Amino acid sequence: MSSRRSRQSAAGVSRISDDQIIELVSKLRQLLPEIRDRRSDKVSASKVLQETCNYIRSLHREVDDLSERLSQLLATIDADSAEAAIIRSLIM
Amino acid sequence: MHLPHSTLKQEFVKKWIMGLQRCKFSNKNMSIFERKKAIKLSADTAMASARKGLTCWSRALISTPDRSAVPTTTRRASLACKKIVKRSRRIRRTAKCGAARKRQITRSIAQCLVWKRTQILKSLIPGGEFMNEVCLIEETLDYITSLRVQVDVMRSLASASVRASEPHN
Repeated sequence: MSSRRSRQSAAGVSRISDDQIIELVSKLRQLLPEIRDRRSDKVSASKVLQETCNYIRSLHREVDDLSERLSQLLATIDADSAEAAIIRSLIM
Repeated sequence: MHLPHSTLKQEFVKKWIMGLQRCKFSNKNMSIFERKKAIKLSADTAMASARKGLTCWSRALISTPDRSAVPTTTRRASLACKKIVKRSRRIRRTAKCGAARKRQITRSIAQCLVWKRTQILKSLIPGGEFMNEVCLIEETLDYITSLRVQVDVMRSLASASVRASEPHN
């Protein structure tokens, strides 16, 4: 096993150690509902990474959609309401 | 380094409003696409500057705000992964398949998956390519927290704008 590890580091390919994965899982557990609902303590490293990547991609998509929505909403904020006046004074 | 949610939110809102004011939305000649880009850019800059230079991703995001300009390593990752899987298949063909060998193959495929997904994660985090694994994990957690704040605030502004645009009865 030690020879494999040294071969890996010689090739420049390093991997995340188990301790670091355990630390990541415990923190991500609060953030990712998919892993939080799972009862077992043993979640594979690749699964955690996959869920993390999927979550980040979904957050990026949401920011993109919200930016588009806001761009349409702020274009038409001409109404006479108090809230419209507040928003206009804040950002325009 | 870890900030409470409400503090981060306040910082983000403050910086985002500053950024939006500079966008000059009162200019009616802006297209919806231009406006969207301005909103997104100001939101990303605000999210990054709310961290006050304490994280790698925030510094990287401020220096390259256009995320599409960041090169991704996924092609290299999939090529390297294919090599590792090919090597495992070769081991399986040439050697006698005892239990120890099977464990070795499973392990190398698992390592391949971890490595490949680490590379994908690196491509998603701003400046991730230059991070070692420990740094990557910490930065990922901070980045996800900041993204959630960003989404939170943007959603609130969107629903406030919807309410503001509703005709009064």
